[in-house]
This record gives sequence, structure tokens and C-alpha cells, in this order.
Amino acid sequence: MGLLAPWFLAGAAAAALPVYLHLLRRHRADPRPFSSLMFFERRTQSSIKHRRLRYLLLLSLRVMVLLLLAMAFADPFLKRPAASTGGDKLLLLAIDNSFSMRAGSRLADARRAAISVLASRRAPDRAEIMVFGSGVHALTRPTEDSSALRAAVESIEPTDSRGSYGELVRAVRLLSGGARTPIELHLFSDMQKSGMPPGFGELTLPANATLVLHPVATRAEPNWAVETVDAPGHVWDLKKARVRAVVAGYHTPAASRTVSLVVNGKVIAARSVDVPANGRATVEFATLQAPYGLSRCEVKIDSADTLPADDAALFGVQRSDPGRVLFVHEPSDSRSPLYFSTALESAAETGFRVKSIGVDKVAGIQPSAYGFVVLSDIISLPFSFEKSLLDYVRRGGGVLLAAGTASARTGRLPVYAENVLESRYYSRDGAGFLTVGEADRSHPAVRNTDSWAGVKFYFAVHVNDANSQVIVRLADQTAVLLEKRVGDGRLILLASGLDNLTNDFPLHPEFVPFVEGIARYLSGIENSTGARVVDSAVELRTGKDHTASVEVIGPDGHQALSLNEAASAITFPLQKVGFYEFRRADGHVDLIGVNPDRRESDLDVAPDDVLSLWRARTGERDQAPAAESAQSPPQPHELWPYLMLLALGAAVAESLFASRYLGQLREDP
Amino acid sequence: MDRFLDPSVLAGLSGLDLVARTVVDGFVSGLHRSPGFGFSQEFAEYRPYSPGDDVRFIDWNVFARTERCYLKRYRGETNTLLTVLLDASNSMKYSSHGVSKMDYARFAAASLFYLTTQTQRDAAGLIVFDTELRDYIRPSTRSGQLYRLLSGLERAEARARTDFAKPIRHFQQYLRRRGIVVVISDFYEVPDRVVQALEPLRFNGNEVLLFHVLDPKEIRPEIRQATTLIDLETSETLEVSPEYVQNDYSARVDAHLETLRDRARGSGMDYYLLSTDRPLDGALREYLTIRQGRL
Repeated sequence: MGLLAPWFLAGAAAAALPVYLHLLRRHRADPRPFSSLMFFERRTQSSIKHRRLRYLLLLSLRVMVLLLLAMAFADPFLKRPAASTGGDKLLLLAIDNSFSMRAGSRLADARRAAISVLASRRAPDRAEIMVFGSGVHALTRPTEDSSALRAAVESIEPTDSRGSYGELVRAVRLLSGGARTPIELHLFSDMQKSGMPPGFGELTLPANATLVLHPVATRAEPNWAVETVDAPGHVWDLKKARVRAVVAGYHTPAASRTVSLVVNGKVIAARSVDVPANGRATVEFATLQAPYGLSRCEVKIDSADTLPADDAALFGVQRSDPGRVLFVHEPSDSRSPLYFSTALESAAETGFRVKSIGVDKVAGIQPSAYGFVVLSDIISLPFSFEKSLLDYVRRGGGVLLAAGTASARTGRLPVYAENVLESRYYSRDGAGFLTVGEADRSHPAVRNTDSWAGVKFYFAVHVNDANSQVIVRLADQTAVLLEKRVGDGRLILLASGLDNLTNDFPLHPEFVPFVEGIARYLSGIENSTGARVVDSAVELRTGKDHTASVEVIGPDGHQALSLNEAASAITFPLQKVGFYEFRRADGHVDLIGVNPDRRESDLDVAPDDVLSLWRARTGERDQAPAAESAQSPPQPHELWPYLMLLALGAAVAESLFASRYLGQLREDP
Repeated sequence: MDRFLDPSVLAGLSGLDLVARTVVDGFVSGLHRSPGFGFSQEFAEYRPYSPGDDVRFIDWNVFARTERCYLKRYRGETNTLLTVLLDASNSMKYSSHGVSKMDYARFAAASLFYLTTQTQRDAAGLIVFDTELRDYIRPSTRSGQLYRLLSGLERAEARARTDFAKPIRHFQQYLRRRGIVVVISDFYEVPDRVVQALEPLRFNGNEVLLFHVLDPKEIRPEIRQATTLIDLETSETLEVSPEYVQNDYSARVDAHLETLRDRARGSGMDYYLLSTDRPLDGALREYLTIRQGRL
């Protein structure tokens, strides 16, 4: 028991008022002289006590009214065990509609089992229908309407998402957090092993929930699938374009599978591959004969298993002529364009041609004609070029800015809008140089490198990194690679030079993948094509400019976004298998092939001991309901309405006694 | 005549002598014969001589004629002695109307004194007591005795408590002569004790008359709510309820009065209840009845 507003108990001090008045009234009763009290014996006090009893009863009633009012305002509550407050039972029917439920008749079986459970439920029990894949969605509210529940079950369709029992349990915990009604969770699923969370603790249901499993699959079924496809998203040179695919067999015997490469619906190559029992085989297509423009490509196998939906892997390919890179440098600097262009041409999957130009000749050049722009240790830019370069970035362009000793002398970094706070020189002699301290390996610029291990830095500029994302820091915490978003574009700042004077990075093997990553990232081809997994997201815009809309065409050929969403959405979730087209405001069109999570292709079911343990834990709670209710969090039950009723009753009784008592007083002369 | 005997009217009179005269003159007149035989000139009877009789009362003329000895007896006036024992305890101050019990007792005593001394030429005395003997006026027939008695009544103010036993022991030395003893009190004492204390007076040959003075509200109090009462003698307080007063108290008072009356009469004493709202003639009539009984 507790009080929600205990400070109102101070009102109980008002109970002293009637006590004081009653005592004062008694005190003012003057004694009357009488000849002798000889005929009044002490035993007459019994009658006086009787009268005092009524008098005290009146006092007690008045005090009780005040105390009850004070208690009622203090809002006491009683903590009741959840089990004692439970009324009817909630049947929670969770039906798995993940990608693996497409295999055979699993989903149909689950629907039939759910309808059977609904038909056998008791009349007062409410039920709620939920489906779960990667997320959990309620199809109905808790209701007793059998027709609505049945319709909800029959409307369930399979999705391409990955199933997660952990997400389901988390949703049940949230659902039971407010209400203490007993929940009977009926789970209709293929009990896929890959859907189990890594920790069994994530499967712990709330105390008021019991689990009833309805598995629609009892054993692992053989299934072949195209597990991965490694293909370029952008093709400049057909000779360099290669496609590698991995065919996996889950619980399958050794078999020979025919793997086909399909471009825009036409099989352009086919290979036969021997897939070992329960193993994998790699197939490589030496060329990707894709036409110019966007192509919808896929790698298919002939599997003839129960889950044909995973027999193909989709990916989008864009073929174009090699793009151009504008490399701006000081006229006296001939080293940096050499190193950069050499590294870019050495990259395997980039098709850029570097146009190197001195800063004194950039006036009149439109940056928008280039895939991205590199500013190598520029002292200053022509005003018109800098302005057009800023516009170019805001519209989605990319700029790599290298700040060497020349930039440090001016103290200002063009375009990047940050000043050089300090120039830090490190010695070339001995161990005076600095190496990289930490690097963000998730960034595309360093993703394919070895975190610039072994790169020696002799000079770096220190800039304010408060408004930037730091990708790489030196050992002394100097930010050496930073990124800043401007509009829809990206600015990458290398706080050192590209000329092999301020560091030895251009001579280092790490330089080539760095340049390649930078080129892919800044040119935007990193995200524009290729393949994605269901439930991943595509970034629609990087800035806060919501004036430009992005058109998304889904696998069904229809607009996937409303007009409002097209103008405001930051990201777009890929929820279905198929090709998505993203038509951006600047005219770029991206084509992305979306494939299901390949973990769904493993149709192995969870071991019986795991399921038994999961079921047994809820069963143990059923066998010890008293202990469970004692451990379950109590639910506060407010008592103020009862106290107010008592106060009302006491007030009525007080009125009756008071009128009777005062009536006797009025009879006295 | 009752108008002059109404206590409320008497209370408006200035002095006790006037009160007494008003009462007595309005009530009775005439002489009273002595309760015994004495030296009167009025012949009563002849009685044969028996040995031991006083030879002085032998009628020798009759002996001469009859040669028998007869005693000649006369019916003459007696010198009856009236002694009033007045209770002057605090409880006598109680009054529920204009006349307190003490005033009423004074009026009664004064009337008796006037009747006794002025009309019957008897000796009268006064003893005022509470727990002690507070005042004593020797019975006498001398002139001015009435005024001494009335002055004694004037001085008698109610105070202290009542205790019959202790003062009575002292009374007896003053009451060697037989007479009429009138005890005026509210008798807030156990009847047995009262009678036991007064019985010696009766054994000495006195006629004892108890005038029980009570206020009407003492007999039937009017209490309609719980009331705290304070005892005038002991200052003790007690909260009483109307229910008890209406039921138990009345029964106990009635029982007390009845017991006191029965015990007094059983001991040869007369008892008369005087309510302070009633005329005084009852008291005088009772006294004269007793006086007549002594003839």
C-alpha cells in the first residue's frame, strides 16, 4: 500500500478541531449547586458514560470524516499482484510471414492452424492477430469478433523479410507492459533456426505470457540458392567486367546446377557447376555484356526445390563511357596530379579519366561536367570558379580537397569553409613522423584499405572538426581525413598533401584503394547501382533541401512514394524483392536489385531441445502460478473512491447524531 | 389567612418577630393545658392513696368525713419547655425559588417561638448546630426571651456540613429538663444515624418532632440534560443524566423520606415534611397537635 499524494495527509491535522471544540464545550458547562449528592452514586456515571458514548460517537464521526477526506486526497493505492487483477485471457496469434514461409505450403498451413485455434477459443477470450518478419505488425486490435480475426488471418501474405523471433518476443513484452491480462502466445512458424536470436535471453517472454508453438515445419528441407553475386554496378570497360556468383546448397545432396547470367531478361551466359552436398560452388562469368544505360541483371539457377524464390540474385548495372575527374592544382605542382591519376587508372573498377589543370586556368570551367573534382593544395581559387564549385556541391557533387603546405600558408581552405588553425610539422628524421591512430573502416574512402597502416605523415593542417565527420585521425589525434556534407554533395578534406612531400601516402599501396574508394564515393556510383538486401535502406537525399523530389519506381512498376514522401523522405526502405529505380532531381537514375536475406534460404528448423526449453520455461511458470504472481510486478489499485464513500457515510451518520444531540439541547430551557 | 402563611409572602416581611406574629396571630390563639398534673387551681379528680404518695396531697376533709385517704388532684397550666434544634449546614442554603431552606426553617422556628413564649408562656430555647454546636440560647420565660431567640435565628447562617451525632452529645447537657424538642433540618444523613443520634432525647422524656425541610426541586429535580452538580457541603462535583434523575433519584429520595419517617415514628418521634413552597400552618398545626397530646 502506498500514497500517491502523501502531502495531503497534513490535512489530518484538522481532526484536532472537533476534538478541541468538544473539549471546549464540555469545559464551558458550569456546575449547578445542589444540596447534597447523597442520592447520586458513582454508579450513576454509567448513565453518564452512556451519554458520553453518544457524545464521543459524534466526535468520532466528525474526526473520521476529516481523516477519511485527508486520506482520500492523499490518494492511497493498493498494490495487487498482476495475477489477481487479471480478467479474461488474450490470445495472441503471431504468424510468421517471413521469406522462408514461401517454401511449400508453410504459410497456408500456418493460416489454417491459426483459424483452428480461433475456432476453439473460449467465447469471452479476446484475440489479436500479429504477423512478424523482421518487424512485428498487428493486424487487429484485441477483439472478440471472430469474423474480423478470421479475415485478418486469411489476408496474411508472405513477405521477403527475414524472420526474427527476438523481435516478436520484444513486441510481446511491449504489449504486455501496460496490461496485466494473461497472454497466450500462439506462434505459427516454420521455426527456422536462423531466425533464433544469438542469446536465449532474448526469447524470454513476460511473466503473464505463455507460449504455444504451432510449427509448420518439423525438419530441414533441401534448398539451393544463389547466395551471393559479386558484380560491378558500373561498367565502363566490358573486358574488365566480371560476375562471380556463389551457389549454396542447404541440406542438399551433391548435385550439378546450371547457373545462368541474365541481362534484361536475356540469358547471355550459362555455366554448369557441381555443388557439393550441403556446400557451395562459385561460378564466374568473364564478361558482362550489358548495353549502355541501366540493365536489370540476375544470376539464376535451376534448383527445383520448395523455395524457388531464392534461385535468382538480382543486381543492376549501368554501362557508360569512362567519367572525367577535374584535378586542380597549383601550376608549380606536377607531382600530385601524377600520383592521383596513376592511382585512379590503376584501380580495377573505376572508369575515370583525370583532367589535370592548373588553378590559373580554371576560370570558365563548369564542374558539373565532371564526376568529381579534386583540389590539390590550392592557395586560392578564382571567385567565379569557387562559386560554381559550391553550387556543384550543393546539387550533389563531390570534391576532394587536399591541404598541403601551400594551403597552410594562406590559412583558408577554399570551398570547405574552415580555416587552418595550426600547421603541424612532423620530422622526417628517425621516428618523428606520425602514423594513423584510428580510422573509420565503415567509410567508403577507407573501407577497402588497411586503415592506412604504415603511411607516414610529415605535415598536416589542423582544422576545426566540430562540423565535420572525422574519418581518419593521426596518432596525435589530428584529424587527417574529414567529410562535410554541403547540400546534397560531399566534401572530403585530406589535411595533408597528395604530392609525396608532406607524406608518403602516394607511394604507399594503400593509396590506390583509397583513390578508388574516393572516386566511387564522390562520383555517387557507390550507391547508385548493384544489389541490396531486403529491409536495407537507400539514402534519397543527404541535405535538408526538400525542394527536389526523388521518384522511386518499385518492383511492380508503380510509384513507391507519394508526392509528399518523394519531396521529404530521407531514406527509402527496400522491402520487396525486385528492381527499384531511383530517379533523382539532377537526372541521375539508379537501378538497384533487391534480394532476400540469404539466411532465409536455410530452411533448417531450430533443434527440438531449443524449442522444448523455450516452451518449458513458460510451462514452468504455468505450474507455479502463485510464485509467478508473487514475482510479477504489482498493479496499483486506487482506494480514494472507497474512502470518499466512507466519508460520505460518516457525514450522514454525523448529521443524524448531531441533529439528535442538538435537539436535546434545544429542549433545555 | 393562608396568604399570611405563604413563605413567599413572609419572606417580604422585615423581621422575624413580625413574621412570627403574623403567622401565629393568623393561625391560633388561646392557652394550652399542661401535659401533666401540677399546682393548678382547677380540680381534676380524687384518687385513693397508695403507699408512697406524697401525703401533702391527701384531702384531709374527705378523710374526716370518710376516714379514707384520697389524694386530690388538680388540672393546671404546665411550664412546657420548647427547644428548637436548627440545622445550619450549607445544604440549607439551597433554594430553587425565593425562599431558601434556611429561611423557611427560620420562619418556622420563629413562629414556634412566638407561639410558645407569647401565647402559651412556655419556655423556649434554641440550639444552632452543624458539625458542631454553634449557638445555644437557654430556654427561659423571662421577658425578652423571644427577641433573644429571634436574634439567635438571625445569626444562624448556613455553613459547614451536617453531623447529628457529635452535636447531640453536647445537647444532652442542656436538655436535662423534659420538654418538646423540635429538630429542623434537611436530614441529608442516613435515617438510622439520624434516629440513632436523636433517640437519647426521646429516652430522656422529651417529645421529639422532626421538621424535614426540603425544597420541592430537591424532591423532584428538573434536569433535562447532562448536568454537573456540585455538593453545597462537600463541594464534590458529579455529572448526572436526566434519565437518572427522573428514575433512580426520585425513587431514592422517596425511599429516604419514607425510611426516615418510619424510623422516626418507630422510635417515638414525630416526623413532618415541610416543603418550602407550602404555607407554615402545617408546621404549627403539627406542633400544636403534639402539644395537645401532652395534656
